[in-house]
Amino acid sequence: MSTVTLRNVRRAYDGAWALDDVSLTAPEGKVLALLGPSGSGKSTILRLIAGLEAPDAGEIVIGAETVSGPGRLLPTEQRRIGMVFQDYSLFPHLSAGANVAFGLDRLTRADRDAQALTWLDRVGLKHRAGAFPHELSGGEQQRVALARALAPKPRAVLLDEPFSGLDPVQRAELRDATLATLMETGTTTLFVTHDAEDALQVADRLAILKGGRLLQEAAPRIAYDQPASLDVAAALGPINVFDGVCENGVVATPFGNVASALANGARARAAVRAEAIALRPGNMARVLDVRPHGAHDLVRIAARGVVWRALTPARMGLGETVDVEFQPAGAFVFSA
Amino acid sequence: MIGFALSPGGADASFGGNLLRDGAIGTALVVLIGGAGAVLFGASAAWLVSLCRFPGRGIFEWLLVVPLAAPSYVLAYAYTGMTWAGGSAIEVRGLWGAAFVYAIGLYPYVYLAARAAFASQSACALEAARTLGATPVHVFWRVALPLARPGIAAGAALTMMEIAADYGAAYHFGLTTLSTAVFRAWYAHGALDAALQIAAVLLAAAIVFLLAERWARGRAAFAGGSTRWRALPRYQLAPLPGFLAALFCGALVVFGAILPLTWLGRLALLHGDLGDIAQPFANSIILSSTGALITLALAVAIAVSARRASGAGKASVLAAAMGYAAPGAVIAIGALALFGAARSAGWIGGLSAGLALTALFWTYAARFAAAGVQPIDAGLARLSKGLDASARTLGAGPWRRMFSVDLPIAAPSLGAAALILFVEILKELPATLLLRPFDFDTLAVRAYSYASDERLLQAAAPSLLIFIAGLAPILILTHGIGRARAGQR
Repeated sequence: MSTVTLRNVRRAYDGAWALDDVSLTAPEGKVLALLGPSGSGKSTILRLIAGLEAPDAGEIVIGAETVSGPGRLLPTEQRRIGMVFQDYSLFPHLSAGANVAFGLDRLTRADRDAQALTWLDRVGLKHRAGAFPHELSGGEQQRVALARALAPKPRAVLLDEPFSGLDPVQRAELRDATLATLMETGTTTLFVTHDAEDALQVADRLAILKGGRLLQEAAPRIAYDQPASLDVAAALGPINVFDGVCENGVVATPFGNVASALANGARARAAVRAEAIALRPGNMARVLDVRPHGAHDLVRIAARGVVWRALTPARMGLGETVDVEFQPAGAFVFSA
Repeated sequence: MIGFALSPGGADASFGGNLLRDGAIGTALVVLIGGAGAVLFGASAAWLVSLCRFPGRGIFEWLLVVPLAAPSYVLAYAYTGMTWAGGSAIEVRGLWGAAFVYAIGLYPYVYLAARAAFASQSACALEAARTLGATPVHVFWRVALPLARPGIAAGAALTMMEIAADYGAAYHFGLTTLSTAVFRAWYAHGALDAALQIAAVLLAAAIVFLLAERWARGRAAFAGGSTRWRALPRYQLAPLPGFLAALFCGALVVFGAILPLTWLGRLALLHGDLGDIAQPFANSIILSSTGALITLALAVAIAVSARRASGAGKASVLAAAMGYAAPGAVIAIGALALFGAARSAGWIGGLSAGLALTALFWTYAARFAAAGVQPIDAGLARLSKGLDASARTLGAGPWRRMFSVDLPIAAPSLGAAALILFVEILKELPATLLLRPFDFDTLAVRAYSYASDERLLQAAAPSLLIFIAGLAPILILTHGIGRARAGQR
């Protein structure tokens, strides 16, 4: 297992930056999630690490070896990087067992088959070794793809949207099983997702990207509680935003004050997470709309012409008037 | 080839100029008349089969492709033989005879392209037109036909390219076209310069048709784009129109395949001499299988490297497509000039038969590589781009990826490609005629030489064998038609 490091990496497509000066580190044996919307450059990072593409500038280091850099591009097949593709890309003409054995061609045939079976067993699919990809369910294909990527003992493994295209129940199960396998093997992992829940639950470290730029790299709890920018806050859950001015250490929103470290008179944007808002009967705001959202209700509240959303366990009635309170950990102020 | 053509002309430049002018006029006439006929036959049949319901529709859907099995020269021999022997009122000869043979033999190109265009139309677009108040007739003229027009145009361009390239039938009907002019300049007058100049013009014409086909096909892909797809409802024809539709489709199949096939079969049984065609038969098998293997190897290399998106791969696909567009006579005369020059420069020595065969295989590979690339590429297209990347992340180098991923997955299409190449080479006439070693007759050459001596009875047996061989790839082709349509296997 090795650390994977990107230093000042740039990559352009058709003159536009897909990645603009990104530096980040996937620590050895840990899971780094790359979170961002489509076009944020997260898949490009995986392709650059795998050597499927070359960076336009900067360098990529795996362990102590510079694999991409000025005048140097180690071919993909020599990088010893495992990859699980979004569509799994299992070889359709090979059985599950032969797919897993594909990367073990330096071993003797007997060793190869034995190891392939061991890996299939680890992901709970030993009994499906003879099945062909089209005979496997989506979740089974994903597990075969994971076993195939891990079998050659890669220096790091890259997962590209590994849980998309699965139904929610399968998704949660598979996420836990995948995480367990990765932790058991102590594999350095980079994993791309646009789902905040996946990222928060699976990752040891979180890198949040937008428009080809790295917004923040931090532990999930830190990124959630202390977002470096409005974009980071928005990437990890629904937020409400209010543009105002900082006065006496607070920004006054129609729903209450948010503490701020900005200078007096500075223009500010207050952001409050929907799930950090508590409602109780009172007279600050009016309830416009209530929709069930699992155990919580998603409540739209209005005050002084401003409408916010709150995700709250309290059951409110339409037209009721309420008092609003923010949990401090879910309320932020950024300079505008 | 172009270099030779542009080199200063010989002493009899005016002879070459006249031949070039007459050939250009002849080619233009036969391409226009034959092409118009093929569009009329092919587009009507495609429309009937795709959008209407009538007795026998399901069978005609694939039977209508069968005339493609026979090369034009085989149809030409069959029809002239038939109308001579029968003492019939209609005589198939001259320009109109040639145009008829091209139209009836090549309309399947238009039929296939137009059928694909009609088939890829979504019922949703047609139904949307209905909800906007258009009658079925309006829907056809204002929506279905305009949507299918690029497909029909692509088929027409392909047909015209084939007509312009044809040598055998044009020669048999005594036409002066660019293809026959190349041969006349070389055979009758030994004027390589003039032959090369005419060949260059013919090549330019072929490239124009190729570009037209590409352009139209690109638009056809655009016209077919619809995210929501539902099978077309077919329009039920009333008994009389339904009968007429079946009669029309039946006539195309009878005149394009059944009648000439039966006629050749009868003659071959009555007059065929097994001893006479045994040697050409063996020669054809050897030449076609060797040529097919060489060309297949080239086609595999082109298809795989094109998939890997290398610049050289893209360029070689384009070169192969141009080779396929180039008439056999053009490539052969180019090969003759090239190998002749190499020989006189002392680069290649040795047996002239060996040299001739090398030139011949080189011609086949240049001419038919694209025909092999297409099915292989279709086979490779079934793999997602991720498979190659997967194999790379698992440590497989380019050779291992080719042999343990690309080729096994494309294996069924490799078989199809080999068969298609085998038959294309078996049917090939002008290049084989020009470049074969002395006294080395193939079935095509034997049929051609009997026909030129007006011994059509003897020409029947080799023609029949070529026809039957041609049926094999047609069966593969028809097998693939249904798959071209989304949501239907």
